[in-house]
Amino acid sequence: MLARLSYVLRETWGSFRRNVTLTVAAIITSAVALLIFGLTSFVQRGFDNLVTVWEGGVEVIVYISPADPEATDEVNVQALADARAIIEESLDSQPFIENYTYCDAACSQRDAEILLAGDPTTLDLLLAGEVPTSYKVIPVAGTDSQELQNMSQALQGLPGVRSILYAADFIDVVSKVKNFVGLYTLILSILLLVAAILLIWNTIRTAMFARRREIEVMKLVGATDWFIRVPFMLEGLIQGFVGALGACGALWLINNRWTAGVETFPPDSGLAAMVIDSDFQFSRMVLILVIGMAAGAIGSGIAASRFLDI
Amino acid sequence: MIRLENVTKHYGHDVVAVRDASFDVNKGEFVFMVGPSGSGKSTLLRLLNRQDRPEAGAVYVAGRNIVDMPSGRVPQLRRNIGNVFQDYKLLLNKTVFENIAFAQEVIGKPKHVIRQQVPAVLDLVGLAGKEERYPHQLSGGEQQRVSVARAFVNRPLILLADEPTGNLDPATGEGIMRLLDRINQIGTTVLMATHDQRIVNSMRKRVIQLDRGVIVRDQARGVYE
Repeated sequence: MLARLSYVLRETWGSFRRNVTLTVAAIITSAVALLIFGLTSFVQRGFDNLVTVWEGGVEVIVYISPADPEATDEVNVQALADARAIIEESLDSQPFIENYTYCDAACSQRDAEILLAGDPTTLDLLLAGEVPTSYKVIPVAGTDSQELQNMSQALQGLPGVRSILYAADFIDVVSKVKNFVGLYTLILSILLLVAAILLIWNTIRTAMFARRREIEVMKLVGATDWFIRVPFMLEGLIQGFVGALGACGALWLINNRWTAGVETFPPDSGLAAMVIDSDFQFSRMVLILVIGMAAGAIGSGIAASRFLDI
Repeated sequence: MIRLENVTKHYGHDVVAVRDASFDVNKGEFVFMVGPSGSGKSTLLRLLNRQDRPEAGAVYVAGRNIVDMPSGRVPQLRRNIGNVFQDYKLLLNKTVFENIAFAQEVIGKPKHVIRQQVPAVLDLVGLAGKEERYPHQLSGGEQQRVSVARAFVNRPLILLADEPTGNLDPATGEGIMRLLDRINQIGTTVLMATHDQRIVNSMRKRVIQLDRGVIVRDQARGVYE
């Protein structure tokens, strides 16, 4: 077992040394492809963050005034309860409202963490108890926008209502940009990924062609196909892995620079939500590593199989 | 050890390499396969190690029909068959020792076994002391001895030699034949394709003669005609 492992590693390393130029080209191509794939995914995520509060068909958000810091807790609790009762009574009276949900302090905090990920100063202020709670209103499908505006105007004047947001215009713009950017970068990354697989495939094919005599001898003395194939597959897998590692490093760097840049933007620029949280970044990096290794192993596996028919 | 039953092999639609060939080879026999170029000698050897498959007939090696043998079991079959080629097929970037060890390494023999068996087989073929040389530092005869050593190091039941003396001068060719004869006397069945009349006549072993893919003569202690 140890002898086989030593053989596989020796052969893989030897093949790398013999094919340095092609190997480097394959690694760079796969790194660029995976980087673009990662960036696409980040951009999509940024846009998704922007529209998080509008998920599930929410068209209108009614923000409730935050607690008065100078009043006692009992007074604030009573004020909130009164405001909610008035707002719910008004919403219940509208025939075109399908349903609404109350987004309490915890729910609002979750939204704020996403929307203001790139604006830590404002986020800190909100998390100190200033975060406004809200109602997310889902109208019946096909409701006229004029009716929604009339309802909003009526709500605006109610006690405890701080502000009202409409989804329609905002979602429309964000979706158009998201679809445009997402579609073209996704196509580009898929094309580059295919190019990377083909380049890895070609690298392995060249390596095998150079060693066809050796492979013939191996076959004739009784080596199994897998024994012959594994060093080549490992070579492809390492190429994919190194490319993916490069892509992850570049992605991390770009995301760090972006996050640092967003923090300097004006608070009302609306871009704070486009910062990618570290959990998402980590999960995408793992995915990129898996895709890189799989693409390398599959490309080289196919190339290797073509020379084994002896 | 080997049995062919009505074996026919075509290349493409019109080229018949072997037609309705049948013969038996017993364990420990030494058989020459003679005939002009294109008579089907090499094809018969290729059928015996499953490099090719016949369109009709059966090929038995050690009692097993290998024609329909699953691909996954072919490596095991080949571990029992050594191959010697006219052009040696040595790996030029490996030393003599590494070329022979390679045949053991790829079937998973442990290093300590390789270190023990390679020098022994080098001694058998008369190349002791030349372990560290590369093929280009050896004469044609010495390269063929390395090829024989590689074919024999795993102690195969059968050794197939395709024109092993074809590239060698007569004196060197005789040395290789003495080596193959010695391996045969150890118990290995040897099938050798050749059209070297002098060698066949001097050794007086069984001769199977082919002409355009057909076996036209099968003679014990035969000569080249």
